[in-house]
Amino acid sequence: MSEGKQPVSRRQFLNYTLTGVGGFMAAGLMVSPLRMAIDPVLQESSAAGDFTNVKLAVEDITDEPQRVDWEIEQVDGWYESKVGKSAWVYKDENGDIVALSPICKHLGCVVSWEGSDDHPDKFYCPCHDGLYYKDGMNVPGTPPTAGLDIYEHKVENGMLFLGKAQPREEA
Amino acid sequence: MKWIKKDLQQFIQAKEYVDTAVVPLLPFQLSNDAKLDKDAFQSEALTVFLRELEKELTGRVMLIPEYHYVKTADKEAELDRIRNWMNDIQAQPFHHVFFITSDSSWKKHEQALPGTMIWLPITSDESADPGRMQSIIREHVQQVSELIRSYWKDSKT
Repeated sequence: MSEGKQPVSRRQFLNYTLTGVGGFMAAGLMVSPLRMAIDPVLQESSAAGDFTNVKLAVEDITDEPQRVDWEIEQVDGWYESKVGKSAWVYKDENGDIVALSPICKHLGCVVSWEGSDDHPDKFYCPCHDGLYYKDGMNVPGTPPTAGLDIYEHKVENGMLFLGKAQPREEA
Repeated sequence: MKWIKKDLQQFIQAKEYVDTAVVPLLPFQLSNDAKLDKDAFQSEALTVFLRELEKELTGRVMLIPEYHYVKTADKEAELDRIRNWMNDIQAQPFHHVFFITSDSSWKKHEQALPGTMIWLPITSDESADPGRMQSIIREHVQQVSELIRSYWKDSKT
């Protein structure tokens, strides 16, 4: 290349380079605020209503309640933690899946199916001898005053997904 | 129940149902390099254990804040301090008091403790993956809650 043909002077070249590099740096600075502004929107659409795969195939659910445990991410302000969840899952006489919360409605202990030999075919709370029928309704005369909460559930690809536990409507 | 606002508000309402106090005895030290990681691991594992145990028996158990002490400290002096704690705790009508620890040196002072001591020997296996550790702790929780329940049963009859 000869001197006469050079289209870019040294000064211009430096100008272009600096503008280019500066532009990149500015763009880099802009990325995080932009993400922050957009990310929550993107995430909300992909979260699919907070159902969790509890790793239980529908065909493995019997009419005998079985306990399933899983973990969910819980965000409390800026603090993220894993929280263990459990449910008692079975099929009722119509073949419908029932997923009951194991949290006793009295004071919050963990109930278990046939947890006491004295009370077959019932959910038993070890703390104050609370009892629930198989459908989760409280047995009158025992401390609990309401039935066990019921998990929202859905089935996808033959696997059970559980959502939030909902209190029963007062009958 | 834990010593947090939400649980204590419930406790005030339902006192007659909460008759069991669980006091964790957690040693700590920063002087012995060789045992630092092991001691810290035990304390971590015990904390996870206590959280799970409390979840299991929430409605009848009050989990007292952790009692920390220097591992090499004189146990007699610690016992005095524990008795002070108990004097305050017993202002509430707790029928059962359990001390839960991974520190075997309490075993010798078991009689002097104002309650039942449960010693959990926690193995610190470096290779244990978190998933396995979880299931071991869950197993411990089942057994200890069974033990606590057997005390409840005895007091009923």
